Amino acid sequence: MNIIIAGAGKVGATVAEHLSDEGHSVTIVDISDSTLERLSNQLDVMCLKGNCASRDLLMEAGARECEVLIAATGSDEINLLCCHCAHRIGVPYTVARVRSAEYASDLDSLKRDLGITLLINPELAAAVEISRLLRFPSAANIDTFARGQVELISFHIQEADFLAGHSLASLSSKIQDLPVLFCAVERGSEVFIPNGNTVLAKDDRVYMAGTPNGVHQFFKLLGRHSHRIRNVFIIGGGRIAFYLLIQLERLGMSCKVVDKSEMRCRQLAEDFPHSLIIHGDGTDPELLTEERMAASDAFIALTDRDEDNLIISLYAHQAGVPKVVAKSNRQNYTSIAHSAGVESVVSPKLTTAGQILRLIRGLQNSKGSAMTALYRIAEGRAEAMEFVVAPTTQNLGIPLKDLKLRRGILIAVIVRGTKVIIPEGSTTLESGDNVIVVARDSGILDLNDIYADSFGAGG
Amino acid sequence: MNFKLVARITGFSLLIEAGAMLIPLAVSLLYGENPIPFLCSILIILAAACVPVFLFHPKKDFFAREGFFTVGLIWVLFGVFGALPFWFSRQFGPYVDCFFETISGFTTTGATILTAIEGLPMGLLFWRSFTHWLGGMGVLILTAALLPFLGISSNFLIRAESPGPVKSKLVPRASQSSKILYTIYLALTVLEALCLRVAGLNWYDSVTHAMSTAGTGGFSNMNASVGSFGNPTVEIIITVFMLLFSVNFAVYFLVLTGKAKQAMKSDELRFFLIMVAVSTVAIAWNIRDIYHGVGECVRYAAFQVASIVSTTGFSSANYELWPEFSKVLLVVLTFIGACAGSTGGGIKCSRILILIRSARREVRSIIHPRAVSVVRLDGAPLSEATLHTTQCYFIINLFLVFGMAIVVGLDNFSFGTTLTAVITCISNVGPGLEMVGPAGNFAAFSVLSKLVLSFLMVLGRLEMFPILVLFSRSAWKRS
Repeated sequence: MNIIIAGAGKVGATVAEHLSDEGHSVTIVDISDSTLERLSNQLDVMCLKGNCASRDLLMEAGARECEVLIAATGSDEINLLCCHCAHRIGVPYTVARVRSAEYASDLDSLKRDLGITLLINPELAAAVEISRLLRFPSAANIDTFARGQVELISFHIQEADFLAGHSLASLSSKIQDLPVLFCAVERGSEVFIPNGNTVLAKDDRVYMAGTPNGVHQFFKLLGRHSHRIRNVFIIGGGRIAFYLLIQLERLGMSCKVVDKSEMRCRQLAEDFPHSLIIHGDGTDPELLTEERMAASDAFIALTDRDEDNLIISLYAHQAGVPKVVAKSNRQNYTSIAHSAGVESVVSPKLTTAGQILRLIRGLQNSKGSAMTALYRIAEGRAEAMEFVVAPTTQNLGIPLKDLKLRRGILIAVIVRGTKVIIPEGSTTLESGDNVIVVARDSGILDLNDIYADSFGAGG
Repeated sequence: MNFKLVARITGFSLLIEAGAMLIPLAVSLLYGENPIPFLCSILIILAAACVPVFLFHPKKDFFAREGFFTVGLIWVLFGVFGALPFWFSRQFGPYVDCFFETISGFTTTGATILTAIEGLPMGLLFWRSFTHWLGGMGVLILTAALLPFLGISSNFLIRAESPGPVKSKLVPRASQSSKILYTIYLALTVLEALCLRVAGLNWYDSVTHAMSTAGTGGFSNMNASVGSFGNPTVEIIITVFMLLFSVNFAVYFLVLTGKAKQAMKSDELRFFLIMVAVSTVAIAWNIRDIYHGVGECVRYAAFQVASIVSTTGFSSANYELWPEFSKVLLVVLTFIGACAGSTGGGIKCSRILILIRSARREVRSIIHPRAVSVVRLDGAPLSEATLHTTQCYFIINLFLVFGMAIVVGLDNFSFGTTLTAVITCISNVGPGLEMVGPAGNFAAFSVLSKLVLSFLMVLGRLEMFPILVLFSRSAWKRS
């Protein structure tokens, strides 16, 4: 596919990298010479300098033949204008990044009137992710499928857990009967799909899919039944904090926010009457002690600097705060955070890139079974996807035990109407099902790609 | 300072005052009284007003300081010229008494120097109540409503004259706002007059009392005020209307435009209603031994609370005879006053609310020294500048009360008389305690005290700043 990416910032560059790796022809438009030069050296893409909202420049970038335009410059208005312009030229699918809270209430009509396919808000997405983690603090990460009917969560195996040192097949029937399934195990730098013989060990990071209730029951059995989070301590009062506060105030949690900028503090104090806004340096341990950080149920580090976030998260973790979440856009820091005990790391950049990739893979595949969700798990080394089974999908009605799947592929959950099925040997795929597939490698575009015999023929 | 334009606007306002005097003139003629005091006054005012109106052709430069200055000047001149009919009639004593009575009228205070009211000419008593009605909504708002050609300037004028810590317009155009306010004001006044007429008063009493209530003034044409009618229905009607006129008029505008829900969300309105309800219950309980039955206690208590809190100053009973608790509570209510944007005076409920909330924030900042928090009113955050002005206003109010009490103290009346006289004048209520209580009057004060008290009434009505500007040397500079 021909894809134009306007704005080569963090999100733009990440998306460009993935799309180019997947074989798409990518053209990047940006106004900075140095950024373009760096990208053209790193990636196999075309680079063009100029204002992406200009019709002439878009034409030059090949908008007439282009199928998708992604506008991710630093300015919401330019992104909207750029998408509108591309829409008028005739680009069928446009994606705009819009981050301002002021536009948030009007996004639907903006989308319709300007002819934009998808509006993405990285900070809002990150805030949603964090609030989900706070609602269910036992898990390190949570992704949802099939309109929330299925959750994919990850957690660390601790030494005392009864899971450690046993093969999955030998677990008690209590666990076996729960509507949950172990999908992937991350051990060190290795990721694998577990089977009955897999023995879990301490420090493994396990991904498990199931109904929200099943997952809840599982954690109860595991003895990690968590108490509700009531007090949240947030460092950094940027956009993520803004969206997060909206959600947390609605959940009735009491929040403390620390920010360095007095103006920003005043703005937050005006917007959130029920939260305590503190002006100060959130990385200053004295301030954290004075405001009794250790007594809070959750600590969230959202400053602009990933390094600060990680360090103060470690500090909070050591001080004994039960749930610690750090924002970090740099992937290589994530594993450091994990190894030091900070399990939940949220990356707005990756979340956004994931959203865009999901759309593009879905478009590529609009004839076959549509991909409706895609999450990159285990630091991007595996993917969890949701497909809608189409009548054209192969092997419908054949029991799973008779099918040969590609290596490193697992059918995790099937959702049929409102029924959530954990697949067994006798389970079959039917047209209209929602199927959640976990794959160790990326690149699966269609449900037919999961079969071993179709390898290379699909797509 | 653009003196020519200030003079010209003042001239136009005086023309309106002259026009307003035509109504009491007609009343005089109707009752067959001597029309000379009004005729002479009208001629003198016309002569004074025509000079700036026809001779000055000023530039259009008009800013906040001219606005404040004009308002202060006009209010003083209204008192000076409005006193003429009283003076010409020779029944109100020396000129300073006439001036005090007129200022008390225009500022809707209702403090009187008259010892015997019954028997005075109907036309003069009508003018006395009519000054309340004119002053209630503001003489400049009236000017702006009637003379829209003042254009840009009216905005500054209205800002200076309308009460409350946060000024807002109802509609984009200032003159349009004024018209809406005056229409609501007039409609409510007419409604009250009709209710009183139906309740059994004659037309003259109905109209004068309706005007006194509307302006939250408190002049009655009876010595014993509303109590002299001995008519519980009249007392209840006046209680209700006193409360109605002490609510922010923007509430009525919202109700009329179908946004009643939004109006009910007002913090100030809720605070005001709770304050009235609690005070009424407390006083009714406190006076239970004086009157017979719950109904009577509540009726007297409610009337007096509404009268004081709306800063009207009518009385249905001599509360001087009530227990100390009730009297102290009434003096405190005198200080607080009505809602912003109403015709009532006092410090205003919204300011009290803001002060309470900023005090609460101050206490909280000891626990969280670095917390940033905002003070809100009706859910909307207030700027630090507004808080500062409000605190300043409160402090100036206190300084003036105590400072001027010292001056009035020269007359050697009791502490209660001196202090409540000052408070009641700056809050535009009317009666205080002891000698200036509901059965008393201000006649015994010296000339100096009467001037000081008149000055306090104007300060209170215009919320300090327009009058204080007159004392600033830089306001008098030409450039």
